[in-house]
Amino acid sequence: MASVRAASRLLSRRTISHVKAVPAAAVQSSRNFHFSIYGKKKNAKVSDDISTQYPVVDHEFDAVVVGAGGAGLRAAFGLSEAGFNTACVTKLFPTRSHTVAAQGGINAALGNMEDDDWRWHFYDTVKGSDWLGDQDAIHYMTEQAPAAVVELENFGMPFSRTEDGKIYQRAFGGQSLKYGKGGQAHRCCCVADRTGHSLLHTLYGRSLRYDTSYFVEYFALDLLMEDGQCKGVIALCMEDGSIHRFRAQNTVIATGGYGRTYFSCTSAHTSTGDGNAMVTRAGLPCQDLEFVQFHPTGIYGAGCLITEGCRGEGGILINSEGERFMERYAPNAKDLASRDVVSRSMTIEIREGRGVGPEKDHVYLQLHHLPPQQLATRLPGISETAMIFAGVDVTKEPIPVLPTVHYNMGGIPTNYKGQVIDYTDGKDTVVPGLYACGEAACASVHGANRLGANSLLDLVVFGRACALTIANEHKPGEKLSPLKPSAGEESVANLDKLRFANGSLRTSEIRLNMQKTMQNHAAVFRTGSVLKEGCDKMDDIYQTMEQIKTFDRGIVWNTDLVESLELQNLMLNAVQTINSAEQRKESRGAHAREDFRDRVDEFDYSKPLQGQEKKPFDQHWRKHTLSYVDPKTGKVTLKYRPVIDTSLDEQDCAHVPPAIRSY
Amino acid sequence: MFFLRVWVSASKQAVSRGVSVESVLTGCTRAASGTATDKEPLRKAKTPQGRFDVPEGKNKDVLEKFPDDVNPATKEKGGPRGPEPTRYGDWERRGRCVDF
Repeated sequence: MASVRAASRLLSRRTISHVKAVPAAAVQSSRNFHFSIYGKKKNAKVSDDISTQYPVVDHEFDAVVVGAGGAGLRAAFGLSEAGFNTACVTKLFPTRSHTVAAQGGINAALGNMEDDDWRWHFYDTVKGSDWLGDQDAIHYMTEQAPAAVVELENFGMPFSRTEDGKIYQRAFGGQSLKYGKGGQAHRCCCVADRTGHSLLHTLYGRSLRYDTSYFVEYFALDLLMEDGQCKGVIALCMEDGSIHRFRAQNTVIATGGYGRTYFSCTSAHTSTGDGNAMVTRAGLPCQDLEFVQFHPTGIYGAGCLITEGCRGEGGILINSEGERFMERYAPNAKDLASRDVVSRSMTIEIREGRGVGPEKDHVYLQLHHLPPQQLATRLPGISETAMIFAGVDVTKEPIPVLPTVHYNMGGIPTNYKGQVIDYTDGKDTVVPGLYACGEAACASVHGANRLGANSLLDLVVFGRACALTIANEHKPGEKLSPLKPSAGEESVANLDKLRFANGSLRTSEIRLNMQKTMQNHAAVFRTGSVLKEGCDKMDDIYQTMEQIKTFDRGIVWNTDLVESLELQNLMLNAVQTINSAEQRKESRGAHAREDFRDRVDEFDYSKPLQGQEKKPFDQHWRKHTLSYVDPKTGKVTLKYRPVIDTSLDEQDCAHVPPAIRSY
Repeated sequence: MFFLRVWVSASKQAVSRGVSVESVLTGCTRAASGTATDKEPLRKAKTPQGRFDVPEGKNKDVLEKFPDDVNPATKEKGGPRGPEPTRYGDWERRGRCVDF
């Protein structure tokens, strides 16, 4: 408390010599509060090191976690439990992170419904990833899955139960028994219909037991990198506009995905890929960003997905001419064709000008030809959903839908331990001091396609893995390596530039341009010409960032500024996504191209391997894309990294050799 | 409360003088007790007081709770309400797909 008063005295002294406003909190902290304010602990020092206009508060911790969703919370309290002085920097209150919207289930081979083995789950995940997943990371995740779910249950997560009191598991998401030969497996555990919500609240409640310092509504601007080592994070406190530097030996990034680069996505407005952008600006690569998972029928404008059951019960997709266009694209299956076929057909219809609406950018899902009673019994709740999110009466009008982004398989490349890696001189090199987990990371368990109910598992397993790795390799209270006093000045300069930006285009206009371009060019329908056109357009839009105009010149709760910072982050993600997609000349998993419809591996796995010559590394596509961006010009450079094909223990769990992926 | 007592005593005097202050009295008792015990309908039925006076059962959720929260078909305790979410291959809830 005394040092806080000292800090406020320092700040108030500065008030006399500088005209710029002092953060309001500094004035208030000279009072004695009866509770302690999180974030204003005794090791915070105020200094003028970066700029006299922006006094910076320096904090020292053993570990900093950026992001407080499922993975971030698990990492934060795992570290606190191990005795590390941990800070959790988050731009949202922990229980408002997007994990709360994950309402499916979590996969684990507990064997409660039938005999199960995690090695079968391993096989299913490797196959689901279309052999682009790193098999050591998948081995780690599926082997740890039962322990992770039991641990969550011990934390108090109220899973649904069987009659015997064991966790109830249901069939979901491409899970099979006996390496695909034993029929459907029941592996998905859930908490009624709100697994993600319950997971997040359980983890948050558990984390309060430990001594983690939460810095809520602090927007992380950049990583503090020196000599290729990550030494902390610099963040903007949105509440009072002060800049904070968190120095730590270990930084964990768990900032989530970047759905908001597209016009239609299921993600929250806060899913802006901040972690990916921070890593890109630090000169490190992002991996496999072209793999974005789409769902064909997402409500136009709202982004909620309409279940395939609607089409299963007889719903049809129609274009502006009222034609049931799926009959042309899939004459046998029609509207019940697989998701990617439906998404591509919808996109082709829209591209050819037969879309509906004022901008002709979506199609209709018609259900009003079905008897209302049947709809109400088979799909209860759909009329409310359609009314709330689309504003239509489902018994009279069709629902506007278009292909919608749901998940990003790509992200910050890590190894199975959660350490961020770079690929130099032909091998993986660990970036010291930097870790990543959750949707922001790409340990590559999902590869080219994510299986349902695996992402919640990914969060908890790799959140814990980051904490364990840090605990193994470091000790609490380690001396911090020295950092230049002016570290973070580029971030503050960028902040200042954005705060006083006076160009010609508003943030919202640039963002809409980017989202529409990505939706039109880098969505489900990908061909060379469309992608190339998209890359050029995105390049132009990237250059228009110079003409950005913001209106709010204040520093306290400046959402215009924060949205502009988020737009910068989204731009970096978008250019990498579209450029990586343009370069990858094959179809694999979620990346499906019309001009290259087949998977291009080192061997042709549809024929026997005898007598085939192995293609050299640069002539096949079973490899990870690593993308780097020069933030000033927006130019993307791509490198490739081989997939890890060996599991952690070949005796215990043999790796799965590639094969043709068919279900 | 003081004013109420004064008012009530005043109105009692008024009653003894034969002036009908029934409506005033009922207004006072309504304000004092918080329940609608009078013969007049509520002036503002949409206020919380009015809304909670509607008998329970009007605001039924489309997805009903299972008896004892146990799904009779699968014997799952504490599971999702309504039909099986994974019946169409994705995780469906109220017509919305939340995972696939």
